[in-house]
Amino acid sequence: MSEKYETHVKSILAECPDADSEEISAAFAKYEKEFFIPPQDAMRSILRRFKGDIAPTPSSGSSSSSSTTKPTRKVSRLSELKGDDRDIEIEVEIISHNIRDQMIRGEQKQIAFGLLEDNPWEENGEKNRWEYKDWGPNTNITPGSVVRIEGASVNEYQGKMSLNINQSTRIAVVREGTRPVVAPGEPQDISTLPAEGYVCIVGRILAARPDQIHRKDGSGSIDIVRGRLADESGTIGFLSWEPFDHEVGTLLKIEGAQVRTFRDTPELNFGRTSKIEIYHDKNFADTEELSEKTVLTVSELRDGARDVDAVVQITEWAKRSFTRDGEERFLWSGQIADPTGRCRMSAWNELPISEDKLPITVRLKGVRVRAWQGVPDITVDTTDQVEILDAPPWDNDLDLKNHTVEVALHDLSAGPSRVGISTSAIVVSVREDSGFIQRCTECRRVLREGACAEHGSNDGNTDVRLRLAIDDGRSSVSLLTNKEATLGLLGMDESQLQDAVNDAGQVAFVQSLRGKMLGRKISASGRTIVDEQGAMLLADGASLVEEDAGLRATEIRAQWRVA
Amino acid sequence: MQSSGRAKRQPAWHMLASEFSEASLNEKGSGEYDPSFVITKLGAKVNRVVVAGLLERLEVRETSNGSTLYQGQMRDPSGLHYFSVGDYASESMRELTLSLVEKTEVGEPVLLLMVAKSRWYQTDEGAIYTSLRPEEACEIDAQQYALWLTRTCEDTLQRMKHFTDSLAAEPTREGLVNAGVPEHMIDGLLVSRNHYGEIDIENYTLNIMQALDIAEGRMEAASQPVAAPTPRTDDDTDESSPSGESEVKDSIISIIEQLDQGDGVDFETVLTNAVARGFDRSLAEEKLDELSNEGTLHEPRFGWFRIVA
Repeated sequence: MSEKYETHVKSILAECPDADSEEISAAFAKYEKEFFIPPQDAMRSILRRFKGDIAPTPSSGSSSSSSTTKPTRKVSRLSELKGDDRDIEIEVEIISHNIRDQMIRGEQKQIAFGLLEDNPWEENGEKNRWEYKDWGPNTNITPGSVVRIEGASVNEYQGKMSLNINQSTRIAVVREGTRPVVAPGEPQDISTLPAEGYVCIVGRILAARPDQIHRKDGSGSIDIVRGRLADESGTIGFLSWEPFDHEVGTLLKIEGAQVRTFRDTPELNFGRTSKIEIYHDKNFADTEELSEKTVLTVSELRDGARDVDAVVQITEWAKRSFTRDGEERFLWSGQIADPTGRCRMSAWNELPISEDKLPITVRLKGVRVRAWQGVPDITVDTTDQVEILDAPPWDNDLDLKNHTVEVALHDLSAGPSRVGISTSAIVVSVREDSGFIQRCTECRRVLREGACAEHGSNDGNTDVRLRLAIDDGRSSVSLLTNKEATLGLLGMDESQLQDAVNDAGQVAFVQSLRGKMLGRKISASGRTIVDEQGAMLLADGASLVEEDAGLRATEIRAQWRVA
Repeated sequence: MQSSGRAKRQPAWHMLASEFSEASLNEKGSGEYDPSFVITKLGAKVNRVVVAGLLERLEVRETSNGSTLYQGQMRDPSGLHYFSVGDYASESMRELTLSLVEKTEVGEPVLLLMVAKSRWYQTDEGAIYTSLRPEEACEIDAQQYALWLTRTCEDTLQRMKHFTDSLAAEPTREGLVNAGVPEHMIDGLLVSRNHYGEIDIENYTLNIMQALDIAEGRMEAASQPVAAPTPRTDDDTDESSPSGESEVKDSIISIIEQLDQGDGVDFETVLTNAVARGFDRSLAEEKLDELSNEGTLHEPRFGWFRIVA
């Protein structure tokens, strides 16, 4: 037997004189080879084994020790597991996967760690996240993949549970990862950062200011630093939980920063394990150049964004009053726009804007963004965030109040909710409930069998709408046309429509709409609401697009060189 | 930073019958509500399609459990789609199907456009066949058919380009992204290449050329039901006209190969398809007999033909 463990074997023998030195040495070897636990760390476990218990022979499991014969415990939820569970089987989604070098037995060894999530198949089900450590490390664990882990063990430390994936654990990939895998330690562009996970980036500080987070239970506050980092691809807000005294303009390389997405805005978190160092790169864009990147257009505004600069035109502006704590307060709000779209703006202080001078163009600095029903709403907290410009930087003749922006369907479905857009796509469904509907007199919800889900039975108000699905081959969007748009699209007035439905019956009427629209290209304008269920376009205008097939065919031949 | 969107409605692909019918790869997640996909040779991961063509056959079939199933064929310039409408379909789809059955019975030509879910099934031998389950459909005119053809040609050409681009790239997600393959094609292309190996896309080019001819009005779109027995006459001396006896046999074999969904192909379908390919009906009947007698085909039930494996 190896002499490698001589000193360690001796110390065990000192405590347990009856033990066999060969067996002790074998136990050390097993710990080191199979579990990568160096002899000094294995001491206590081995000592306990030889000291207290005579019966269990070292490890190899010929004994009837219950822990070795227990069959694999199969669970579907992490919550079913206890702190001392061994040899468990579960299907999970890998949320993040990071690799770290560790010295084991004087050898550089890679260990992987990250987050996993149970209940991977249920779309909106309740999910729990645990940390895991992979001592393999297994090459088939990749972020975004769903794997079946067979033979892992639970680790409980200070009440916090995690999963240990050992060398003997089998990993079966059930669904391949759908997220790109990035080598650890390689800086990523800010624009390509994932919505969650650990990342490495190189960026220049554009803003940094101390802030405090107040504990909800009133037990005090935590000092933090908030700010913004930029590279050529974009900018991202950050929050440091540790002291952070780098000045604006400093170029930093940050390893092990955690991206978290709050509302729709990703944010970098720096903590104890993040490694922050000053980075040298003469060619990296300077602060001024990068500051331009924080100037966002309306189409780029996201719920939860901070430190936003923008140039917008105010098209409507009004003062509202409300009462809070018995005191009358004021809020100013209105419509704003730029050539990429429209949204809202609110201010808590009076701005030097008079309604009769509208529209006026302003430069906004360091403002924040909230969203209401998916539509961004810029919040102005102080008057010095607003600078009034003499003229807009775009064509002065542009009527932004009624301006609509043409957006590709796929971009609408993948982007935020937007106002003042139009798009075109193919009609792939005309829903059975298109035509006349009854809306709740209280909330405008569509009544089902004469009743509102919220307000119960009521007579309802008659309305007209179409419910369609439109599609560009990549994305599908639900299209709802309002009364005006519906009547315009069908070329009927309301009484003609009523006659058409009465004559044919609802089913045949809808089928007649399919004859008119299914497979046709439709152009619609209005606003979108985008959420987890997909995108919905609420249209106040819609028309079928006339196309010439012969001409299209000839164009296709030319474009694709099909003789 | 896009959410995974598994609950979202699946997009609809404009697709020619040849691309869809040649697919033999499928994918289904393990969750109960996970969508099922057919993955084509060009890497389209298809759950839903927009297809159109001439309704060629639509027949009712009583199933063993007493429900009613309508089975149909729809032809576009590249081939045939098989579809079925059952009791599960919406009321309007079933009503439309009934009216279409009446029209096909009297031989009235119908151009149909449908939005349909992709279906696939596997025979005991392991072969995969695709078919469609229409969700919504309507009759269209020649102009709308031409527009559908142009859209479908353009989308197919686009897929062919992504497919060709992907061949030069490393077969990983990253490799395809770098090769400019858009997100919605990546998953499909990654698995299709593995499954299908080297494929020849020349056929699709020919299909497209023919479809564009029709869209431009250079060629008469099939406006007669092909099922109508209109045998070629003797004065048809077009050099491409098939007439040789071995050609008839080859065609019959390929018809049965294509149409056999496990139970064989019935006599009438074999003959109408042979006629549609320009053969004389009585000659085709004769050759069908010969193939049966020489043991190339067998009849598992009377009037149903299968190729002897």
